[in-house]
Formats: sequence, C-alpha cells, structure tokens
Amino acid sequence: MNTQEARQVIFEVLGDIAPEVDPSIVDDDLDLTEQLDLDSMDYLNWMVGINEVTGIDIPQREVSRFLTIAGAVGYIVEHSS
Amino acid sequence: MIDFLLPSLGADMDVAKLNCWLVKPGDTVHKGQIIAEVETEKATLEVECWHDGVIEELLVEPGPDRLPVGTLLARIRSLDEAAEPVAPLEGEPAAGLVTAAAVPTHKVSGQPPPPVRHLAHELGVDLAALGGSGPDGAITRDDVRRAARAPAAEAPEPFVSRPTRVRATPRARSLARSRGIDLASLPATGPQGMVSAGDVARTAPSPETIDEPDDKVSAMRRAIARSMSHSKREIPHYYLATTIDLDRSMTWLEAANEERSVTQRILPAALLIKATALAAREVPEVNGHWVGDGFAPSQSVHLGVAISIREGGLVAPALHDADRLSLDELMSRLRDLVSRARSWRLKSSEMSDPTITVTNLGDRGVDTAFPVIIPPQVAMVGFGKVIDSPVAVDGAVVVHPVVTASLAADHRVTDGHNGGLFLASIDRLLQEPENL
Repeated sequence: MNTQEARQVIFEVLGDIAPEVDPSIVDDDLDLTEQLDLDSMDYLNWMVGINEVTGIDIPQREVSRFLTIAGAVGYIVEHSS
Repeated sequence: MIDFLLPSLGADMDVAKLNCWLVKPGDTVHKGQIIAEVETEKATLEVECWHDGVIEELLVEPGPDRLPVGTLLARIRSLDEAAEPVAPLEGEPAAGLVTAAAVPTHKVSGQPPPPVRHLAHELGVDLAALGGSGPDGAITRDDVRRAARAPAAEAPEPFVSRPTRVRATPRARSLARSRGIDLASLPATGPQGMVSAGDVARTAPSPETIDEPDDKVSAMRRAIARSMSHSKREIPHYYLATTIDLDRSMTWLEAANEERSVTQRILPAALLIKATALAAREVPEVNGHWVGDGFAPSQSVHLGVAISIREGGLVAPALHDADRLSLDELMSRLRDLVSRARSWRLKSSEMSDPTITVTNLGDRGVDTAFPVIIPPQVAMVGFGKVIDSPVAVDGAVVVHPVVTASLAADHRVTDGHNGGLFLASIDRLLQEPENL
C-alpha cells in the first residue's frame, strides 16, 4: 500500500467516526484527537476500523504513532505487504 | 393472545413515530427479537419483542403519527396457543384485514405443531410450499429440514432478505444503511477492492434527509431540557467526590493490552464502568428508580453510559447486566453501544432500562464531574481525567495516576453515608483490577 492508498483508508474509516471532517483541513502533523475532538472510544474505533480494512494490527506500543495522520500513514505503509 | 404495546422509551420520552415493521402477520418471533423501528426525539430505536409467539395482527401502520407510549401496536399469539379462528381454507380471508388469516397456510388441514413452525421459521422454510410426509400428510420436522437443504433457487424469497456479505468500508456500510442502498448493487472502487463511501455517495440520490441530523439535535436538546429540568426540580441532589489511586488498575491494564490485538483492547473506561456496576450491586440503595412516592430497587444492574453525540447532545443507554459481564464482554458491548448511539440506532430497552448512570468526562480534560441524575434513577457517577498526581504510599510521596470519582445521589433515597460506602466500594474494586 502506498502513501496515497494509506491516506484513503485512514480518511475513509475516519469518515465513519467523524463524518463532518473535511480531510483537506486536517493537519497531518498535529494531534488528531485534539484537532477532531475524538474521545478514546473514537480513537480506538478508528484504529480497529483501519485494522479491519487493511488487516494490519496496531500493538499497544505503536498506538502513539496514530496520534497524527502522518504517523498513521507511515505505519500502514511500513506494515502493508 | 399477547398485546404488544409501544414500550417505555426512556426518561421523558413519551411519544414515538413508527418507522417500519420488521415482521409480518404469521411470522414466528422470539423474546429479544427486533420487530419494529420507532423514532423518538433522542434516537431511532429498535423495538424488541419480549415474548415468543406468532404475529397475529399488526394494528398500526408506519407513518408520521406520534404514538403515545402504551399504544397497542400488535397482537402476538403465544406458540402453544391455537390460532384465532380464521377463515376456512376453502373460504376467502376477510377483505382489508392485515392478519394471520391473510397469510397462506399449509396444504393439509390444521397448523403444524409449534416445534415444526418454529424450525421452519429458523431455517427460512415456507410451510405453505411443503407437502407433509407424516400421518395424514402432516408436515414433520424432517420435511422442514429436507426443504431447507434443497437448492436455494427453489426456496421462497424470505420476507426480510439476508444479503450476502459485501466487502465495504465501515463508512460505506453506514452511508448505505442510512440511504437504504444495497451494497451489492454498487461498484467497488475503494481500498482493497471494497465498496467505499464515495461509491455510495455517487450512486445514491441526494438524500432529502440531509438536514435530518440538525432536526434530531434540536429535538434531542428539547428532550434533554425536559429531563434535566424535571431532575433539578424534583430530585434533591447531594454530591460526594473521592480521589482514587489507579496505579494498580493502569499497570494491570497496560500489561493486559500489551498481549492483545487492537480489536481486543480494553480502555480504562471499561474498568471504571465495571467497578461501578459491581459497587452498585454491593450498595443497592443507589441502584433503581424513584416510582410514585418511593424507591424501587432493581435486582439487576443496567448501567447507563452517557455518550456524547458529535452533532451535539447526549444519550445514556444501558449496558444490560453490566455487573455480570466479563471485562472483555463489557468492552465489546461498550464499543457497540457507543457506535450505535452515535449513528442514532439504539434498542428501546437500552433507553428505558438504566438503573444507574456513569458519565466519563476524562477525555474532555475535566478533573471532576458534577452529574445531574437522570429521572427516575436515583444516582449518577462521574469520572474525570486520569492524571498523574503525588500520592502518599507507605509514608512516602510517589506519583501515581489518579481519577476523581464523584456521585450525585437522590437524598430522598440515600444519605451521604450510603453514598460514601458506594464510592469506597468503587475505590476498593479498582485496587483489584484482576478481579473485575
């Protein structure tokens, strides 16, 4: 999966949790939970959704990479076959 | 014959619109089965049936009329009850009646016994299309099983079809459901060959209900206003709070989550909720309802969970029997409950059954919550943000994660003493997370 495909997955799943979010205004490097007012359940459901779509697990120790879009994209690209 | 009434829909929710029926006359229904969908100011609710039986008659058509709680919606015949006298097979059913009499009956005289009808319903077999191999041509369970194994092409189309699972993203599923579109009919241009939200949006006609969330939010605001005004007017609240050391809980949770995949992960909120549910069982004076002029304790702990809606407002549906769920079950149900609440899809019993409610405002950076009790409940628990704080342990000052647990309770039912015992129970239970 390349960067563009990873972004598509990320925002597709995010759209189910925060439908009003416009991807074009999300800053890739800022804390996602603060930018989008996500609570811990939203955040977990987002990661579970990414796992369901891509099959990539996200261990607890890697969760911090998903605090930003850039981190999440990097993780998905690295771990997709 | 059982009267199926529009059930209670939660605090100050006394009317609803019937959106649709999910069953038809002649269908076998089971306790807990969703048989209708109604809409209140707060949510679209799936209405469960609380009896096993056969739908005899649907008495209300779906439509915009606002029906009061208690409205007779349908009649259900219990499984061991003979059918209402119906027109003889050779006769014509009475015109205009939407009853079981209008449903085709099987070829031989007399209904098959309930176990056969039940099995036929379970396997999706139409008894009317079956010949019987039993005595006098009676349809047997083996006849039903044989029919169920027959090629699908021969099977009658079920009333509620079960589409095969189409690969689609969660957002696409949600959109398709809200717009009434069959995912199988859409092109799949999304990631991994899935149907994407864009595929749905391109295919679906512009929804006329585009402003619906706003309408729902304002309706929800009115419902909250009624309920909270009622609470502050009628309930003499008292408030208590205590700081709980979460070092053991968080250490245990971190180790437990390290071994788990993301789908199995447990959030701290699950521990707080489970501890509250167990404490409510230990101090039953906080668990129940104020009815008329007195307190009616509940034998079960149906823990309401305050869930904020992104568009504004909140709902507090029940996690049924929260004290009896394992942490994994509780977490799984909590995730499901939050997802359904935020997509406006809850069950009627989830809105009417809470016996005590928890609000967790920690994610919003709040240190201490001062909850307002949801009538007719008599207590509500609030949790704030988990923060690192200096605490004294064995005479030394160390830094541990702590949370402030607060209680709003009804002074007509309990005093500060009971409330204090309740908060102390929550604290004690959180010191033994492995036993939650």
